[in-house]
Amino acid sequence: MGVSAIDVRAAINQPSIFRLVQRKIFNSAGWGLCGLTFLLLGSAMVWILKMVFVRGAGALNLKVLTHIQIGVAGGLLNAIEGTLVLGVGGLILSVPPGIAAGIYLSEYDGGWLAPVLRFMSDVLVGVPSIVVGYFGYVTMVATLGWGFSVAAGSIALAMISLPYITRTSEVAFRQVPRTLREAGFGLGCKPGTVIMRICLPMATPAILTGVLLALAISVGETAPLIYTAGWSSFLWTGHLTKEPMGYLTYAIWAMITEPQRSAHQLAYAAAFLVTLFVLVISVIARVVTFRRSGWGQHA
Amino acid sequence: MRFGRKSMEKKSNRSFRKGAVLALALAVAGAGSAFAAAQINILETGSSLLYPLFNLWVPSYAHMHPNVKITTQSTGSGTGISQSIAGIAQIGASDAYLSPAQMRMHSNMMNIPLAISSQMVNYNVPGLNYKHLNLSGPVLAGIYSGKIRNWNDEQIAKLNPGVKLPNHTIIPIHRTDGSGDTFIFTQYLSFSTPSWANSLAYGTSISWPAVPGGLGAVGNPGMVTALTGSPYSIAYIGVSYRQAIDQHHMGTAALENRDGKFVLLTPHTVSSAAAQMVPKTPQNEAVSLIFAPGPDSYPIINYEYAIVSKTQPSAETAAALREFFSWAIRGDGGNAPKYLNPVHFAPLPPSVVKLSQAQIDQIQ
Amino acid sequence: MSFKNILAPIASIVGVTLIGIVIFLGVYSWPAVKFNGFSFVVKNDWNLGNLYANPVMHRGHLIMPGAQYGILFLIVATLLSTLIAVVLAVPLGVGSAIFLSDGVPAVLRPWLSFFVELLAAVPSVVYGLWGYAAVIPLLSHTVFPWMAKHLAFIPFFAGDTGSGYGLLTSGFVLTLMIVPLITSTMRDALISQPRGLREAALALGATRFETMWSVILPSTRRVLIASSILATGRALGETMAVLMVGGGALNYLPNNIYAPITTMAAFIVSQLDSALEDPTGMAVRSLAEVALVLCVISVIVNGAARLMLYFSGYQRLGGGGWA
Repeated sequence: MGVSAIDVRAAINQPSIFRLVQRKIFNSAGWGLCGLTFLLLGSAMVWILKMVFVRGAGALNLKVLTHIQIGVAGGLLNAIEGTLVLGVGGLILSVPPGIAAGIYLSEYDGGWLAPVLRFMSDVLVGVPSIVVGYFGYVTMVATLGWGFSVAAGSIALAMISLPYITRTSEVAFRQVPRTLREAGFGLGCKPGTVIMRICLPMATPAILTGVLLALAISVGETAPLIYTAGWSSFLWTGHLTKEPMGYLTYAIWAMITEPQRSAHQLAYAAAFLVTLFVLVISVIARVVTFRRSGWGQHA
Repeated sequence: MRFGRKSMEKKSNRSFRKGAVLALALAVAGAGSAFAAAQINILETGSSLLYPLFNLWVPSYAHMHPNVKITTQSTGSGTGISQSIAGIAQIGASDAYLSPAQMRMHSNMMNIPLAISSQMVNYNVPGLNYKHLNLSGPVLAGIYSGKIRNWNDEQIAKLNPGVKLPNHTIIPIHRTDGSGDTFIFTQYLSFSTPSWANSLAYGTSISWPAVPGGLGAVGNPGMVTALTGSPYSIAYIGVSYRQAIDQHHMGTAALENRDGKFVLLTPHTVSSAAAQMVPKTPQNEAVSLIFAPGPDSYPIINYEYAIVSKTQPSAETAAALREFFSWAIRGDGGNAPKYLNPVHFAPLPPSVVKLSQAQIDQIQ
Repeated sequence: MSFKNILAPIASIVGVTLIGIVIFLGVYSWPAVKFNGFSFVVKNDWNLGNLYANPVMHRGHLIMPGAQYGILFLIVATLLSTLIAVVLAVPLGVGSAIFLSDGVPAVLRPWLSFFVELLAAVPSVVYGLWGYAAVIPLLSHTVFPWMAKHLAFIPFFAGDTGSGYGLLTSGFVLTLMIVPLITSTMRDALISQPRGLREAALALGATRFETMWSVILPSTRRVLIASSILATGRALGETMAVLMVGGGALNYLPNNIYAPITTMAAFIVSQLDSALEDPTGMAVRSLAEVALVLCVISVIVNGAARLMLYFSGYQRLGGGGWA
């Protein structure tokens, strides 16, 4: 035993200058390192944004927004349209069951079904999106014979956004004050009326945040769409099956590997549009959250 | 967390407005359907080697036939074959013909040659890219199977007397997607190197031997990018990407042909090879043009195929396809020099045009 | 019929979706599971066989001659790239979470947090574009050669730095994609620790960083582990970015950290069409088995994290609104 109890007590009672300096250094170095990690992440973000927006802005012009793609040149109108149609299609399919699941998890938490559904929804978040795409290809595109289509692409996107909407809807309903429900029941309303007429309006802004985030995720997805929506360089003629659909993320992936400059321009323009869209949605969603929980208090 | 009633109303109003905007977007998108009753949609997918040619064809053809909308997609010949068999794409573009097993199982599928293409072997060896290195099938087989690992290997040196080869590891690049380029490249290796034929053989996807550092790339464009970005690499690339190769000052190899001569890819060597092989084309046009005899023959040339089903879902689609293909193979149509020269393809000889037309007429 | 009974079937769609995917993968890949056996996960041989020959019967299955399927290289590459990403992301995430929770004025906090969390909003394919067009040239020409020269004493850091496409590049890109998950969850956890804990430590004379490091941080241990597992799950299934920067290696294991790789998710994208060419269908079913293996690993990882968070009583999963 090299260190006796007396030594330890001495060290505590009479802190040496050395020890104090050591602690000071540890303190500053600690904060310094933490600041550095933040700086690293921040500069990576700046780097990505700079690349996308500087090169993207250089590639963007009116023609990109108003013309369809012709080979490796032309515009992105077909892809912009496809991204919107698929994104909205995915939402139409995922919002009703998502909100229903959210309501169930929040309002009927007592039974066996709610915990099971919650766990499954959380696990579904973790299913890789390409697995969903593969599933969609074999079942809808090939076996059911829908071909590459809006229907197959929208269903694949809906499967991906469903658990997100479920989760945010549950949280939204849980945030509705209990007293409001009690007031409703006190007036003799049925559970359905209380939930749909009292809780739902209250929860709408928070649900909307979740829906917006789901839309952002859908817009940014590529892997589940490659084998379900396919690709088309023309505008949609309104068929749900048998008609493939273009979308911006595919244009990024397919065009950046082409050797021509015009193709690269399209890829950067598409990246600009996708990133801008996703960031704007994120900002809107965040602002909605701030409004509800108060500026600066957000944890 | 508590709202006044007013703010609550305001918020739900706003949400309805957002919903309305989204619905409007969808409605506008759907409105196109009303104007497009007679439109025929054709999806062309597959070979990245054929993709640049389709991109030249389609805008011109669209001028003549505004109601036929052809989407082009560069995905690899494997995709072209499998998606046209599945009926997902109407035109499967492929550098490879259907396998015998596929032909038997899907007797309604045809391979229709549209033009004659060829393949380059390119390398990125700093200091040597201005030269045309001599390479042979057995040496390439050695490189791609990992037996030849260094640029200054004596087997490469033997083919290139007087060239100072660098002492650097070779990075072989192969296609990871199912690819007609892989098909014709591995046919060249198989026909010239018995040990390759007996072990790996040929196909649109083969089990590439593990070469440490070897890269996989998607599509010809991916091959070009991987090649230009990786010094000391080597790649097989379709001739329609020749312009990109030249722009980046990559090296192009002279390949050993069946007669043991090292030949560069030129219109003359391609037509010499075609002259030797084209007469062997059978009725169904599934034939390899690889490793032609003759002193001037370039060893890797091939038909660019459209993989098409004889039975189309509608008479309109069938008619549109017949018309398009008939135009595409004609010397005053799609096989005109203004389309083929930019992609360095050779036109179909008259005898093959006849065979192709006979197949095209079967599309119903 | 009560509202609850109307609601339950609609709510169950989320569960049905998961069960549907899992059952589909299991049933569809079953012939491949039987054919490939255990060697599927221990051998490095993804071989469609000779596609231009005639199919043959082999052990009761119709396959192309020479076809066999072993995906060890995919599993190893997936796990290694994820490992690199998590090893880098945990210190980055914890450091930035500490900085954001206690190192900046409360007024700036939401803005700075939001800025870092935007990293999670950037689509995968944009990461791929960035990696492909901006990061790889820098890594392959400058960073990797420097590392191979000066860090050669670390195992697997020496040797040929190759083309810039590969394991470490994928690891870097994945790191940025998963860091926000750890940062936001940890920042929330750190902030929500009882104020008394902080005050007690400060009153005892601890510096602010000592308080954070020795008192607050240890009490969030479970949240850290759980959020790291969640981040792992995300990295395992990442597709497009890794496809674009991984290098597409086939049938071999990486020999150093710069070597090209393919992950399971990227492999499914790049191989589905080739697999469909196999007229016997065994290749597609083997690819479904890849998806099954990936799905099982992801589900186990995610399930473990969720259970862990559940038992630690921490409900705000994922944080930041993104997961």
